[in-house]
Amino acid sequence: MERIEYPMLDEVLYRQVLPSGLTVLVVPRKGFSKKLAYFVTDYGSIHTHFSFGGKEYCAPAGVAHYLEHKLFDMPGGRDVSAEFAALGAITNAFTSYDMTAYYFSCTENFADCLHLLLEFVSTPYFTEESVAKEQGIIDQEIGMNEDAPDSRVYEDLMQAAYREHPIRVPILGTSETIRKITPEVLHTCHRAFYTPGNMLLCVVGDVEAGEVASIANAVLGTEKREVGRKLRDWQEDLTCPAAYTSRTMEVAMPMFSLAFKCQPPEKGEAGIRREMVADLAAEALFGESSQLYLRLYEEGIIDSSFGGGFETIDGCAMLMASGDSYQPQAVLDALIEQAAKLAESGIEEGDFNRMKRSALGRRIRGLDSFDSTCFRLCAYHLSEFAYFDFPAVYAGITREEVRDFLAEAVRRENSSLSVIYPPKEEENL
Amino acid sequence: MEKVVYNNGYMTETERQNVATKENIMIETTQLIPGVTLRCCRDSRFKQGCLSFQLVRRMDASEAHLNALLPAVLLRATNRHPDLRSITQHLDDLYGASVSTLVRRVGDYQTVGLYCGFMDDRFALPGEQVLAPMAEFLEELLLDSPVSGGAFLPELVESEKKNLIATIESELNDKRAYAMGRLLKTMCREDSFGLPRLGEKDQVAAIKPKELLDHYRRILRESPIEIFYVGSAESGYIARLMGPVLEKLERNYVNLPAQTAFHGGAGEDVVEEMDVSQGKLCLGFTTPITNRSPEFPAMQLLNTIFGAGMTSKLFMNVREKLSLCYSVGSGYYGSKGIVTVSAGIDFDKEQLAREEILRQFAACQAGDISEEELNSAKEAILSSLRSTHDSPGSIEGYYATAALSGMGMTPEQYMAAVKNVTLADVTAAARSLTPHSSYFLKGVN
Repeated sequence: MERIEYPMLDEVLYRQVLPSGLTVLVVPRKGFSKKLAYFVTDYGSIHTHFSFGGKEYCAPAGVAHYLEHKLFDMPGGRDVSAEFAALGAITNAFTSYDMTAYYFSCTENFADCLHLLLEFVSTPYFTEESVAKEQGIIDQEIGMNEDAPDSRVYEDLMQAAYREHPIRVPILGTSETIRKITPEVLHTCHRAFYTPGNMLLCVVGDVEAGEVASIANAVLGTEKREVGRKLRDWQEDLTCPAAYTSRTMEVAMPMFSLAFKCQPPEKGEAGIRREMVADLAAEALFGESSQLYLRLYEEGIIDSSFGGGFETIDGCAMLMASGDSYQPQAVLDALIEQAAKLAESGIEEGDFNRMKRSALGRRIRGLDSFDSTCFRLCAYHLSEFAYFDFPAVYAGITREEVRDFLAEAVRRENSSLSVIYPPKEEENL
Repeated sequence: MEKVVYNNGYMTETERQNVATKENIMIETTQLIPGVTLRCCRDSRFKQGCLSFQLVRRMDASEAHLNALLPAVLLRATNRHPDLRSITQHLDDLYGASVSTLVRRVGDYQTVGLYCGFMDDRFALPGEQVLAPMAEFLEELLLDSPVSGGAFLPELVESEKKNLIATIESELNDKRAYAMGRLLKTMCREDSFGLPRLGEKDQVAAIKPKELLDHYRRILRESPIEIFYVGSAESGYIARLMGPVLEKLERNYVNLPAQTAFHGGAGEDVVEEMDVSQGKLCLGFTTPITNRSPEFPAMQLLNTIFGAGMTSKLFMNVREKLSLCYSVGSGYYGSKGIVTVSAGIDFDKEQLAREEILRQFAACQAGDISEEELNSAKEAILSSLRSTHDSPGSIEGYYATAALSGMGMTPEQYMAAVKNVTLADVTAAARSLTPHSSYFLKGVN
């Protein structure tokens, strides 16, 4: 395996693409008990439209998440969770808009656990009965999500900000769409996207990199198979269909989320650089060390729940901010006004260097977390970037780039605001 | 201070390997002055360190709200850094270090203080340090607040009161946490465990800046103080860094009463209506077994088998077999001896879910537990304990409160005790549980 050293971070990374097309990343952490493995497919809730085996498919919304639930079923009544538990491991999975991840963490029996993870994710087993039964569970998950104001405020915002992009639809789908999911639909999506060439295995822990690769070869084989082609046929410009959306829920005080739609970054280092520029821009505009944060906090317009940053999802990019506020519109106005000022005056050099130093330090601290490191390695790999290269990217960013980003991105015509009001709160917009 | 510490107290590679042995974490405990305990976990595997400072109080309705507000006010300004912006800029200079407020419930106690997280010195530019200036800044935040007329600055206090009230109110946003809070309040009408950790809204609203400063000065004088450090430096160095803080304290230390087991009154079944899509059913059980009891490991295993995780009886039956819910699980509050169950369900499935939860509970009491279930539960607890040692935050979270809650075992003793638990012990633990109260949050109509 290729071994790459990152002395600045005190990290080593092993990397290899196996004959099956599976990419393997291993970060050996000597002296730690915990071992964490992520088995990830480059496939999420938005990838419902694809072509595979010469045919075109339009799958019901929520299928990626449904599939994630059903992959835990194994033939012969085997119980995957119980098998992990017997090995002293914990397993779980999550589905996002553009990826699905299955993972376990253990302190012992690593090889057996890894074998089991690769096996269950690559073994589709769906019966009519078990697929139908899952509807009850997912209906309850949808219900739980409907009562979660932070999910609602975000999902409403996506509907207001996007015209066609499937980010408009919740990751779980809806009660109606999940009723269209059959074993056949699940099988097709599994064949199209759960093939090693579309997947990534990432391990963080005190393990032998070579052992990880040989277990993966043994379980997944060496044959290369066709990967489904995602049809990204949505037409999106940077304007939002609705500048404002709101609803009433059982919340204590009004809650908001706002977005400035940006051009989706390209893949590779240029894209990551843009993402880091955007994060620094967010910091300069409304981070805790910014003038604006101090003013809004002292005026009581925002409180400690306020925060934000740059978010990218396949085909989407947004500078976002959210929090609790009695004056969400005033927050949006202040952001636009302050961005114009910064675009005019530029960012002071001292402030800029301090922000870069802080961002770098926080990322280095973040490496202590196995979960965050594993997740970032995967997410950045899918964007075709080696995450541990981040210090060099930071070093190269100039304050002009950050200023230019603010000038270009923070515009009223590209913005949308979503608010959730408590039942008795008069809308004061 | 005269002794020169080699390389700021860092370890050599050989020392580093000796210390970083699995399952064998060393917490070095030092009594700095009476009532002030420093606990250090020297470990240079990490890229960051943490340093926490906690005043330990009795959880009491007369001061819970003051304790909850206090650290937020301390974090707003110092005489040298007069506003949030200059505080954050200083932390940015320290490579994005963070300071956050700590307001914890540990059994009958409430702790109040600050938690610092910071990058390890070895990643700083040559000649720069993080730990020493971090400790200095902690001192500044704790002891150099701007004061006027014997009171904290009123505008800071008023603004943090608003924030705290918003935080208290926002508990409603997370319906599961809200429902659990209501259940514990119902169960613990006569126990400190029923008091809200952050105090009541009206009490917060009534706090005066002078009252808060007087209270702070009193608790700095009287309270046991816990300082906890995880990182690459040795404990003597941390003790010296904390020296200036201790020198400024005028101590008149008062010991705290010991932790007590649950002593709430009679149970009650409460139903509340709200405009929600999903119902939340919470059941509460009590047991005389606390984390001070020899049966504690058995009780923790019972809780794991009953309702913790994806292989528990509740998950396997209430969710997987009957598809009644997405989320279901149990929790054991070891410092009090309370076990709770919570499930998110359809409103009309309340009776079904309740019956199934109680059926699984009865199965535990009847000893209907397989060897496999017991072994899996043991593995889960051992594994989670081992991984506790893999991050500074989880080491602090676990060990900075374990001693306070009265848990007397070292991790090694505790792991050994878990391994020795038998099926009969777990069944006995299940039989010690009594259903006490329930809470159901349901939709309107």
